Amino acid sequence: MRRKILIVLLSFSLILFLLLVQNSFSIELKYHSPAEVSNFLKDISNKYPSLCSLSLLGKSSGGQKIFCLEIAAGRDKVAAEKRQAILVTANVEGLHLPGTEAALALAEKLLSGYGKDKSLTDLLDRKTVYIVPLLNPDAAAIYFSSVKYEKSSNDHPVDEDNDGLIDEDGPEDLNKDGLITMMRVKSPDGRWIIDPKDPRLMKLADSKKGEKGEYQLYTEGLDNDGDGLYNEDGPGGVELNRNFPHDFEYFNKSVGLYPVSEPETEALLKFMFDHKNIALVINFSTENNLLNLQQTGQARVGSDRVRVPRQFATFLGLDPDTEYSLKEIMDILKSMNIGGGMEIDESMVATFLGLGPAVTIDRQDMPIYEELQKEYKDGLKEAKLDFLEKRAKGVGKGSLVAFCYYQYGVPVFSFDLWQVPEPKKDEKKEALTPDKLKSMTSEEFLALGEEKIAAFLKDQGAPPNFSASLLINMVKSGQVTPAKMAEMMEKMPGRKSGADREENPEAYLLAYSDNILKGQGFVPWKPFKHPTLGEVEIGGFVPYLKYVPPAAELESTIRFHTDFCLKLMFRLAELRVKEVKAEKIGPDLYKIKVYLTNDGWLPTSTAQGRRALTAYPIRARLKLDKGQNLIAGRPMEIIPFLGSGDVRQLEWVVQARKNSRIKVEFWSNKLNPIETVIALD
Amino acid sequence: MKKKILYAAILMSLILPTCFSFIAEAQDQKPKPEVKLTFDHFYDHAELTRALKMLQQAYPELMTVQSIGKSYQGRDIWAVIINNPKTGPADKKPGFYIDGNIHGNEIQGTEVALYTIYYLLKNFGQLDFVNRLLQDRSFYIVPTMNPDSRDYFLHLASDSNSPRSGLVPYDDDRDGLFDEDGADDLDGDGSITFMRKKDPYGNYKVSPDNPMVMIPCKPGEKGEYIFLGSEGIDNDGDGLINEDGPGGYDMNRNFGYNWQPNYVQRGAGDYPFCWPETKAVRDFIMAHPNIMGAQSFHNYGGMILRGPGAKNLGEVLPQDRQVYDYIGKQGEKILPGYRYITIYKDMYTVYGGSIDFFYNLLGIFTFSNELDFDQYAGLPASEKKSSEEDDEQVNRWFGPGGSPDEILYHQLVLMGEQLVEWKPYHHPLYGEIEIGGVKKFGRRVPALFRLPETCHRNAAFCLYHADQLPRLAFEEVRVSKLENGLYQIDLRIINKQVTPSISALAVQRKLHRPDKLIVEGKGKLISAGFLTDRYRNLTQPAKIRDNYFFVENGVPGFGQVNLRLIVEGSGELKVVYDSLKGGVIERKIALK
Repeated sequence: MRRKILIVLLSFSLILFLLLVQNSFSIELKYHSPAEVSNFLKDISNKYPSLCSLSLLGKSSGGQKIFCLEIAAGRDKVAAEKRQAILVTANVEGLHLPGTEAALALAEKLLSGYGKDKSLTDLLDRKTVYIVPLLNPDAAAIYFSSVKYEKSSNDHPVDEDNDGLIDEDGPEDLNKDGLITMMRVKSPDGRWIIDPKDPRLMKLADSKKGEKGEYQLYTEGLDNDGDGLYNEDGPGGVELNRNFPHDFEYFNKSVGLYPVSEPETEALLKFMFDHKNIALVINFSTENNLLNLQQTGQARVGSDRVRVPRQFATFLGLDPDTEYSLKEIMDILKSMNIGGGMEIDESMVATFLGLGPAVTIDRQDMPIYEELQKEYKDGLKEAKLDFLEKRAKGVGKGSLVAFCYYQYGVPVFSFDLWQVPEPKKDEKKEALTPDKLKSMTSEEFLALGEEKIAAFLKDQGAPPNFSASLLINMVKSGQVTPAKMAEMMEKMPGRKSGADREENPEAYLLAYSDNILKGQGFVPWKPFKHPTLGEVEIGGFVPYLKYVPPAAELESTIRFHTDFCLKLMFRLAELRVKEVKAEKIGPDLYKIKVYLTNDGWLPTSTAQGRRALTAYPIRARLKLDKGQNLIAGRPMEIIPFLGSGDVRQLEWVVQARKNSRIKVEFWSNKLNPIETVIALD
Repeated sequence: MKKKILYAAILMSLILPTCFSFIAEAQDQKPKPEVKLTFDHFYDHAELTRALKMLQQAYPELMTVQSIGKSYQGRDIWAVIINNPKTGPADKKPGFYIDGNIHGNEIQGTEVALYTIYYLLKNFGQLDFVNRLLQDRSFYIVPTMNPDSRDYFLHLASDSNSPRSGLVPYDDDRDGLFDEDGADDLDGDGSITFMRKKDPYGNYKVSPDNPMVMIPCKPGEKGEYIFLGSEGIDNDGDGLINEDGPGGYDMNRNFGYNWQPNYVQRGAGDYPFCWPETKAVRDFIMAHPNIMGAQSFHNYGGMILRGPGAKNLGEVLPQDRQVYDYIGKQGEKILPGYRYITIYKDMYTVYGGSIDFFYNLLGIFTFSNELDFDQYAGLPASEKKSSEEDDEQVNRWFGPGGSPDEILYHQLVLMGEQLVEWKPYHHPLYGEIEIGGVKKFGRRVPALFRLPETCHRNAAFCLYHADQLPRLAFEEVRVSKLENGLYQIDLRIINKQVTPSISALAVQRKLHRPDKLIVEGKGKLISAGFLTDRYRNLTQPAKIRDNYFFVENGVPGFGQVNLRLIVEGSGELKVVYDSLKGGVIERKIALK
């Protein structure tokens, strides 16, 4: 009997050992299912207990756990939440599986590098990194299920078709290939035709060219509720990356009834507001906001200059038809002594005037993005990853990235990691397109020269008064960025449809499937007898084709991006007292001067963070002992922010004994606090 | 010996509660004790709880009381449901919702809500109007949304403006510390009043007519005093006074429609419904989708408000605006001196208010009343005839001290009950100062002698609105026999009240499922249509589903829909008109 137990024990430990050996935490190139993500996190936190701990952020709508890995060294001395922190989030869309892998790889890189790599060690000794590698497990699980379809929503039951029934008509895998693809069926009200260039592709019939619509397209499935519609109310759900509160789209059932209606989004936001020490967010999703600076809202040039509503304008003695900067209005309010001695800041003015939310990257923050964009693009080129540029997606409405910049008020960088590569062909490299414009820096744009810009404008059907020289001046003066321009171009009515636009927009996907995946990215159309539609054909692109490459493809991009993310982390603002001076100006009377600086690359806060009130100013607090008295200066000085290398001089006059000491503490919510002791002698 | 007594005491205390519960049970068998509530004082949370429990015991068949969640400090947020089960379950009738006291200092809404409950229960079986209401409406009432701040306001030192917020600690001054520097009751009189200091260059002087009145100096005139704000000290030594008091946010900016962050809308909270109190109310109201009318209570100013709260939303759709106007204008008659106005146009901009959430996302017609207004001379401000001198008075900023009219009212009508005479005090920062002024119950809340009237008139407005919710009925049902066992049924559904069975906005935005007409029993629905012109026999076909079809636009207020059904079957069948918010009605039809 005892022996049996012994054998069982032995075999157990053997299995355990094997498991441990296997799990040596080098990046294993595979996609982790939600359960495997949890296991990975548990294993890694067991392996490095002094460096990290795992906590539960919350549960998804479908009841799956969402984890957060907290990484910081020496937490017994300084608590993790008392340090400047970086938040890494991934796969809020659920179908962006490469993001989860990048987040796990980053965790692994940080933990295994501690004690070996000097800069990594320094980072974890002084800062905290929070990693949430899988925000949308409900959707991610579909990739690993027996029937795959592209899902970016959670499992929250939603009545998409407003018929009082919930999730009653989802897709079905009719041809039993484990994939939900498309059905094409000949129909008198069909608007699609087979693309003559490649009969596998469908295109919308252009009746102006004599093409006549033949086919209807549906996703694969039945009309379960007999309402004549196919798959209009499937399982779930709310798209989490459209459920955040900046520029939320109301009345769209797939984004939720109201912002932050979902347990996943609420769990993350609660965590972020409970951890105001987060000073930087790195996100992995289908958005790349360094390659495409386009923002959710309408581009508004010079949005920090505003018109004052008439009733206030009269009251303030301003002209209601002139635009003023917030600072000018603030100064006028201050000079009128309105607010009864209250500190008036720009945010109060914005509220008072009812200006509404910001919709563009603040002009003061733009250089951060532009400089990093340049560096990032150079890096991509070197790593042969510059194919990412063409289809880079900007920030979406109600997205996590938009929330982080506009409301949470920190710099945020989002990386898509991978895109379907373009088929090789001799492109007219010279020609400028709005797509290319999106990812251009102002410098690159100006380098094109007036001639090319003029040709581009003509091609885009720009009005004649919108000349190249005007545009060049606007870019030079910083009034407009290439990304904003691209956005404006896309809205121009007179846009030419050039010959190359004839290309089927899905042709590149087919080329990718044919040339690189050996045809595995496309299910050939095959006839099927459908119970209500009759003879149909089922086929089309394999789900996840655009988002999830073979895992091996990820190696170089994950290596490059995790390195780039570490570089961003090293760039955070750092307070330092450059020098202190104590000058005796009378008996027991000292004038104290403290020079405070920011040694980091980033400013201590973004301009939007200050406007959003979430990035606090720096507080310099004079700590006086008994018998020491403040004669001049304030017990607490407020420094709005320090840009990289800025120096701020603070001055107090203190009555104190010779040889005594005075302490000054510096604190802000998103910086490591520091203090300095001044000896009076 | 002493020990024995102790044992006995413990034993007694164990037995006693059981004895009492026996007594209570025995009492239950007897006719219900009459509950008498008075509205000559303000109810704290404990007394409110007792009152609700007593009412529930007295009217168990009509009323249920449930806790819909706990406040931050752990108080139950009570919700009362009133329904007459003999006429059907609550969720099959149009529901009317009331809440009060979302702002902690705006306390009298709770008394209005409690009075409304009390009035409905007491008058059921007595008054035809109440009988009719409980025939085909249900009521959902949350007397206080903010019990923490209610008790704070009633029991702790505060002023008439605070705490407006809930009591989740909040870092108002962004220094990393929470609620560390609130007002302080320096003179220990239980109220936060004001501080003034003698200063020859001050901008106020004492009125020659009334020593309690502070008059602002005219240009060039020499002053005597300056105001130093509310009673308090610099608790955290940062050089500022009272800059981070209890809470510091606004729950009525935390609702999920047109929500904007703190930098656009002060007090909005980190994200919609981030506090337990707003969450609880959201969950409660969303769990009862039959709610079609709603009323919130605030103070003060004598207003019947409707949305939108902000200009960016545009105006309310014309069809829905007619409903608001119809009820709002009647409200002005029920509530003399109150003005029916629109928040963004006539008051100020509110993002994320409950009123916009209820109407715009849930399709509920909602009003918000600002209870009570200053009646210093016994007349509402709007009716007051003013001389030139009065005009000058009105245009001058009397500051926290109050206008001569207000002070006189306190002296003559309230006999000084809510007035603190200026008394000297030694302040750690300001030195010799004086503390005094109007106390917390002296402003914004009605004087107790006026509270019953506030309660009754506003309850009357609620019940009027509730009565104006849709009241549907079948009319002119005509059956004609066709060939092959088919029957044609023409019927008309009318709405006797002003509120439609679906708001125009809900139709436009697809906020909830449409009304549906269902055929039950031995009949198969073959075809159906809307009779758009019954005299010319024009119909518009409806899409038949599983023996039912949707009536997308519902039944308009004071309007009708005419339907034609083609049914296969024999014998008796039942036609059900099922409106999510307009109630469920049915009619038996014999096929012959």
